[in-house]
Amino acid sequence: MSAAKGKFRYISSDRRVLEDRRFVVGKGNFVADIVRPNMKHVAVVFSPHPAARIVNIDASEALKMAGVHYVLTGDELAAATQPMPNGMPTPEVKRYPLAVGQARYVGEWVVAVVADTRALAEDAAEKVKVEYEPLPFVVDGKEAFKKESPPVHPAHGSNILLDKTFVWGDVEGDFAASPRKLSFSQKWGRSSTVPIETFGVIAEWDAWREVLDVWASIQMPKYADQIATAMRLPMNAVRVHQDVDVGGSYGVKRGIKQTVLVCYLSKKLNVPVRLIEDRLDNMRGGDAHGPERNFDVELAFDDNGIIRSMKMDALDNVGAYAGRSPFQLGKPIGAIVGPYKIKSVQYRAMAVTSNKTVQEAVRAFGQSPTNYTIERALDEVAWALNLDRLEVRRRNFIQPHEFPYLIPSGTSYDSGNYPGLVDKVVKQVDLDALYAERDRLRAEGLLAGVGIASCLEPSGGNSAFEPLLNRQNKTTTWMDSCRIAVDALGTVTATMHTTSAGQGHETLVATVVGEALEIDPEKIRISRAHTLDVMPSNSPVGSRMAIMLGGAAFHAANKLKRKMMTIAAHDLGVPLEDLVWDEGTMTSKKNPEQKRTWNEVVLIAHRHFYRMPEDMEPGLTAQHVMQVPNGGKLPTDDDRIQMYPCFSFEFHVVLMSIDPDIGKPVFRRYMIGHDCGTVINPKIVHGMTIGGIAHGIGAALLEEFAYDDEGQLLTQSFMDYLLPSAHEVPKIETVHQVTPSPLTVFGQKGSGESGYLGAPAVISSAVNDALHPLGIKMNSLPLKITKLGDAIAEARAKAGKEMKQ
Amino acid sequence: MKLDIGGEERFEASIDRIWSMVNDPAVLQRCIPGCKSMTETGPDQYKIELNLKVASVGGTMEGAIGLSEKTPPSRCRIQVEGAGTLGTGKGDAIFELREEGGQVVMKYEGTGDVGGLVAGVGQRILKGVAKHLIGKFFTAFRGEIQKAAA
Repeated sequence: MSAAKGKFRYISSDRRVLEDRRFVVGKGNFVADIVRPNMKHVAVVFSPHPAARIVNIDASEALKMAGVHYVLTGDELAAATQPMPNGMPTPEVKRYPLAVGQARYVGEWVVAVVADTRALAEDAAEKVKVEYEPLPFVVDGKEAFKKESPPVHPAHGSNILLDKTFVWGDVEGDFAASPRKLSFSQKWGRSSTVPIETFGVIAEWDAWREVLDVWASIQMPKYADQIATAMRLPMNAVRVHQDVDVGGSYGVKRGIKQTVLVCYLSKKLNVPVRLIEDRLDNMRGGDAHGPERNFDVELAFDDNGIIRSMKMDALDNVGAYAGRSPFQLGKPIGAIVGPYKIKSVQYRAMAVTSNKTVQEAVRAFGQSPTNYTIERALDEVAWALNLDRLEVRRRNFIQPHEFPYLIPSGTSYDSGNYPGLVDKVVKQVDLDALYAERDRLRAEGLLAGVGIASCLEPSGGNSAFEPLLNRQNKTTTWMDSCRIAVDALGTVTATMHTTSAGQGHETLVATVVGEALEIDPEKIRISRAHTLDVMPSNSPVGSRMAIMLGGAAFHAANKLKRKMMTIAAHDLGVPLEDLVWDEGTMTSKKNPEQKRTWNEVVLIAHRHFYRMPEDMEPGLTAQHVMQVPNGGKLPTDDDRIQMYPCFSFEFHVVLMSIDPDIGKPVFRRYMIGHDCGTVINPKIVHGMTIGGIAHGIGAALLEEFAYDDEGQLLTQSFMDYLLPSAHEVPKIETVHQVTPSPLTVFGQKGSGESGYLGAPAVISSAVNDALHPLGIKMNSLPLKITKLGDAIAEARAKAGKEMKQ
Repeated sequence: MKLDIGGEERFEASIDRIWSMVNDPAVLQRCIPGCKSMTETGPDQYKIELNLKVASVGGTMEGAIGLSEKTPPSRCRIQVEGAGTLGTGKGDAIFELREEGGQVVMKYEGTGDVGGLVAGVGQRILKGVAKHLIGKFFTAFRGEIQKAAA
């Protein structure tokens, strides 16, 4: 069932975001706002070595301090808890919240100190003496892949967690038949999403009720399951309070090690225990680090720029432990050809451990690095043939009439009109004028470039990549749920069953339920169940909530509506089909005098049971568990899989200039064409898009977890890890198109990632266009001023020398 | 992260006087910035406690200093290793003394390796800090020479 498309009452209208009201007045309920009686605080001692055996831990001085309650080591914790989940079949790569026996990266948590205040815990942590014996280490991903590199986990035997080659289609045949080939390599640097709020968690064990209460700043799938497993508790003894506001995440609020740590301490000490990371805890040893990926690509194409086949090697340096990180190489398989008709693909996915901080999920779960590389491939073909970069894209685009379109890796794209949106953007930005402006800037002595990039945003997330990369894992998908209740006085409460990290899910549910029931969304109460009261739900990941929670809310509302109409029809003695619903009043089509109002039906259901149809449960509640559309199957034997169901499309165009003397890039124009199907709340989509672009600007130009050769993380504070500010983020112009998805209730698709997916690709494209006259290309992100400045200086010096000769 | 350390200082004193001063733990303790204690643990081996401040972070360090490869009064190797709330540090330097125009010239050259907190938050100013600390050492050292002369 889906709604009649295009005729909406509340959907797509520019309504306020319900959550904003409490946030703008400072009345959010963040984890740091929650105070439990007699709560104790944790600080951690971290490893200063990239690899070292822990020889001795002496906490005697710390324990002498007044107000210090406990000092926990990895040995004690590991003996009492299960290792944290490992996505890959690599059982010897064990991970605990604190290092056990050996520290494997600078910043790894080694000891936890519990005290009356965080400040006291930090002072005590300074008194803990840890004696280390440094061990050999490796920091570079390609080095770690080599057999002779020192293994981060000696028991595992090597640093390789994953090395799997997929072949979809006749790659060798297509390469042999193609008149042209090229290859290139590039690297996506290690960066983050940097939420304003670092991770925080409170655990409180109630020994008399045998319940472990948890409040956390979390965006982690299967969080309660993971806590129960690690703590060896039945899952119905873990109550995660999901109504905690989260101050930003975009993937990195994983928090499981922090949570297991405080859960153990709370149970051990029988007091509530809180850990809130400071920025340094977060940046060096929290869950802040995203993918770091080397790409080696070969392309086979013809003289017209039609790409027939692609070979892509992707190597992720996942850091010291394997969490879900290798799967970030898996999700891109569901859009491995981008919006282009590449017939065959060979994809080698490699993940290695190294002595760096552990890689965690970052916005788009590995898709943004891959998109950066797919778009670079299109530029490379254009440069090789001396063709216009946009023209090459147009020639390779999947055309509107070809949907649903099956890509070689087995995923079907739902809908799209790529040339349509491109035409709109080209017209709006006046691309010819943009090129003229570029040339004018060049004539002024600046380096200037136009960047062009498309991106697909796979949305409606499932976990189909898990069995694809790890055949022992048979989990393919996750559900989301909504329950709606109309109380005895006729007001509506809708319950959602996951946490929310600022994506506006309350607005989403209220808008959808309001749309379905034709009642003002502002009058609907949104409640968030704790995990002892939840229906099956996952977490807001994979750009899925508009599709999944929106779908669940829509179906639950329709079930409720049907129940109310059934009651009304019975009470009126007319057939159900005779009734029409109009803003909650149910009227007979044949005899409009015959009707029942909302409140009359509420009264029957709650109080006048004798007027109910036989066998119908009293009360007015309805619920729906939503399955990911199109999903749920295991991969085929030849590794084909339907990954995410819906595909949003965006098209980015920028004009940038670079001061050739200092290498500083400046945006002159930034325009994005955006198509996420039917928009549910334009303000939320706009915020996601603009914020995503700012995030992408950071990844492309500024942000990097930089390590030196000694394995030291040099960028831990915002003095060295640079974030885009109002100075670096330009005005962003937006062009909209709506190509509804046939798979969702309103035609909506996901939109949480689009800005971040396209910005790094388009910036790289613009910079390389700007550097074209110098005959150089940049092959890695971020393109920091120093890197650009040095490359330009070197190219100019060389050109100067050549001219003299 | 690695640091290169090197420089040259000139003193108005005899080479034997300078040699004995740089081998006197009491003098070194007074000159090493932030040095709280220096205890002899063996021939030319000392345990050292420091209380330092680098940029916005301050803290304590405990370590060991060893003197070796001595050729009195002209050459000595000094190795330092320590760890504490500021992180880890290692240094290895050689200093040479020679007489030149009635002065003593001390030439020193070596490398340092810093890890942990200081490397992570202070790397951009670390070279400056190292220079500053070395400067403080020699200012105090000159004070010691004058004190001895007075």
